Amino acid sequence: MTSVLGRRVTRSDAEAKVRGSADYGVDVVLPGMVYGALWRSPVPAARVVAIDSEAAWRVPGVLALITGADVDNHPTGLALCDQPLFGWPVVRYEGEPVAAVAAETPESLEKALDLLHVEFVERPAITDVTSALSPDAVLVHPDWASYASPSGAEWPREGNVVCELLSDPGGVGEVFSSAAHVVRDVYRADRQYQAYLEPHAAVAEYNSGRFTLHVAHQFPFNVRDRVAHALGVGASAVRVVGHHIGGGFGAKLDVALEPYAALLARATGRPVRMENSRSEDLMTAQCRESAVVTISSALSASGDMLGCEFDVVFDSGAYAIDAPYLASIPMFAVGSVYRVDRTRVRCRAVYTNTAPTGAFRGVSGTYLVFAVERHLDHVARELGLDRRELRLRHLRRNGEKMLNGQTLADADILRECFDRAEEVAPFSSLGKGPYRGVGMAACVWLTNPLAGSAVLKLNEDGTIGLVTGATDNGSGAVTMGLRQIAAEEFGIGASDVLVTMPDTDVAGYDAGSQGSRTTRVVGMAVIAAAAQVRERVLSIASDHFEAAAADLEVVDGGVQVRGVPSRRLTLAEVAKLAASNGGPITGAGSYSTPLPNYSPTCATGFLFPAFPTPTYHLHVAEVEVEPLVGTVRVLRYIVVQEVGRVVNPTGVVGQIQGGVAQGLGYALWEWLESEGGRYRQRTFESYGLPLSVDVPRVEVVTLEHGDSDSPHGAKGVGEPPIVPVAAAVANAVSDAIGAEVDAIPIRPEAILEALGPLGASEHRE
Amino acid sequence: MMWIELWVNGSERVAEVRPDETLLELLRDGLGLRGAKNACSEGECGACTVLLDGVPIDACIYAAPACAGRAVTTVEGLAHADGELTPLQRAFVDTGAVQCGFCTPGFLLTLHALLAENPTPTEEEVRRAMVGNICRCTGYAHILDAVAQVAGVKE
Repeated sequence: MTSVLGRRVTRSDAEAKVRGSADYGVDVVLPGMVYGALWRSPVPAARVVAIDSEAAWRVPGVLALITGADVDNHPTGLALCDQPLFGWPVVRYEGEPVAAVAAETPESLEKALDLLHVEFVERPAITDVTSALSPDAVLVHPDWASYASPSGAEWPREGNVVCELLSDPGGVGEVFSSAAHVVRDVYRADRQYQAYLEPHAAVAEYNSGRFTLHVAHQFPFNVRDRVAHALGVGASAVRVVGHHIGGGFGAKLDVALEPYAALLARATGRPVRMENSRSEDLMTAQCRESAVVTISSALSASGDMLGCEFDVVFDSGAYAIDAPYLASIPMFAVGSVYRVDRTRVRCRAVYTNTAPTGAFRGVSGTYLVFAVERHLDHVARELGLDRRELRLRHLRRNGEKMLNGQTLADADILRECFDRAEEVAPFSSLGKGPYRGVGMAACVWLTNPLAGSAVLKLNEDGTIGLVTGATDNGSGAVTMGLRQIAAEEFGIGASDVLVTMPDTDVAGYDAGSQGSRTTRVVGMAVIAAAAQVRERVLSIASDHFEAAAADLEVVDGGVQVRGVPSRRLTLAEVAKLAASNGGPITGAGSYSTPLPNYSPTCATGFLFPAFPTPTYHLHVAEVEVEPLVGTVRVLRYIVVQEVGRVVNPTGVVGQIQGGVAQGLGYALWEWLESEGGRYRQRTFESYGLPLSVDVPRVEVVTLEHGDSDSPHGAKGVGEPPIVPVAAAVANAVSDAIGAEVDAIPIRPEAILEALGPLGASEHRE
Repeated sequence: MMWIELWVNGSERVAEVRPDETLLELLRDGLGLRGAKNACSEGECGACTVLLDGVPIDACIYAAPACAGRAVTTVEGLAHADGELTPLQRAFVDTGAVQCGFCTPGFLLTLHALLAENPTPTEEEVRRAMVGNICRCTGYAHILDAVAQVAGVKE
């Protein structure tokens, strides 16, 4: 049998999805199920004075009504315990849950929510990072000093600053004072909503002291732990059952409705279903944060980058969520692709009275790379250098170190990225013509190292059962990648590998679909589990053939004496023999990627200190600006991406095309504007998602430098294709209009303003 | 409440509906057909697309009582009676047009209607036909490939 790796294998859930029979989180229906919803704060900052629930309770069919007064409202959280279940007695963002209600029907639920009366005293809201940092700012969390991390970690934080990262190698000031040129830029990025099509939903049951949660979640084990912590029960009192996920992109890594559904299920004794309306979802999803990035470069007369100051302030919103980890990412956005001698990095995550921000594919890399790459174009223009040449001159080489002291053993791949992009289309040949432009952007990205596991069982018909807590968020990492990796170990087709849905009672721990980790980390666990199964298969065949195990081989779905294919047992026959020879055959494997060496003293507040299994990326965008209305059309988009090994070409191209589409939305159309602590955009009608007429076909070049410590060399693929997109597009737009582009999204108004009155514009050939 | 009769996927169905009930609520909750999805409730994303007398509509903003006497086709009604997938469904499976799949039922019905009217559309015509359906995962290219596989799309 030829290898199943590198081939187009069908997702195991594809047929159910095209038939409409796939069971998503919103499709779960249980006998006796009732309906739950949250009463959410309409104001961003307030003290709750009184909650009058009498009229709501009188609505026929109301079964439960829970407020912060009814529960132990202790704060919990992913990185820092600062978030209570209910905004009670203090509300810190618009949309924060104040009460949870359950009723027999959606109609009585709606009526009860209408009749619930909450009396507030509004407080001045901190709605942007600048006012949050002012010395006399009101504190979003006056009790910040009393908060602790669930992991026991500590880091510099004070007042409205929830985390401060600082890295200063010394001597940076001297480099700047003696530099021939200093170029300084300030860049801004707005928020971005993940906008998965399936809104957050949860169905909870409570039975015999245990909760069962039915979810469509990227990280079921985190749901288990977060719900248990919030409700004050042991983790083993919570079982989380995963269903098909209608998209997540990072927004389904932390809990949302799950703890409230659990509370309501316990209060009613009935299964309770909750589902966000699209507006609730948009208002409260942990979207990508807004940020201000200041970057200054000290340059020699010939344009060598001698020093850099990189200062980032981003909006964590009302709670920390994962911000203390994200504050480390600037350490990998500057000094990783391009060599800079002395770099000082400071990043502050700041509390405001806005919806908490969190993980979105590519996290802060999207706007950090935007800032670095825009700045490089500015430097090139200022010094009269070729943009591509400036970059090539500074590319990291094999063995050079990133700012964290981590060695990039294979950084020469960056040079290959630039060469291969040039083969697709020479950079100097693109962006020609009036109002046309070209831009490029590169990055180094990681493969998330966190732990995963797998159990394989040899079924009695010779198929392989794969039991794992890993989730397939749509990427195909489980439904294609892991099945292929398992199939390869037995010489069978991927269709003969049956994979379970996640269930925290059944499967071993898994750190969720984040950071492109599943194929690599869980793939390693699958291979380890397969080794145990193979060992049993060989042992049973050895007894059967009275041959040494070393003389046997597992091939083509069977085991045979080497060189004697007639002396062969199929896997099904081995499984039957196993019943009377040691019992059913299973194997278990676990894996987590060891962190590469780094310098722990290179920074303070450095909670995310390394980029394991690095990959390399170059994007090139060609655009055309419509000068009358300021809109941007993307003409060509080229991606060169190091993937280690293509496990499934459909999956790789699908991830890259889809990631670029989300990046184009971020750069151009997806506006999530906060005004007075409230989003202006409330629905898909006003939030501009990329449509079929907007997204070009991406030209994809994959590079395969297999990682010897990865399953068949495969590295992470899914997350990074979004990272350099805004940077490449902004550079192309800047090139097209001959003016700086300093904010994401790039609005038509900004383009028109840059172009000036029609006719006065000199742009551009 | 009122009683209506309608044809759903070729079968006559009788249902009791509220005057303000949407067709999507009727399909999902009343008739147990969970293939059509609710993602925005305002006719923006197309995840709830079904065919009404052969024409794609957003079921989330279409009144159920207005469907009396009419024919509704949902994703569950696309495959042949023996369970065999349609060529378009098969192409979605083969080309990677399905990732998370939440938008897939809506796309299938929109494109089914397109191909019924125009069996050999250009890629531009396919893109325009899909403009009422949002896919957040694929960036649309593999969906275009799926249509090309069944329709031999012209350049």
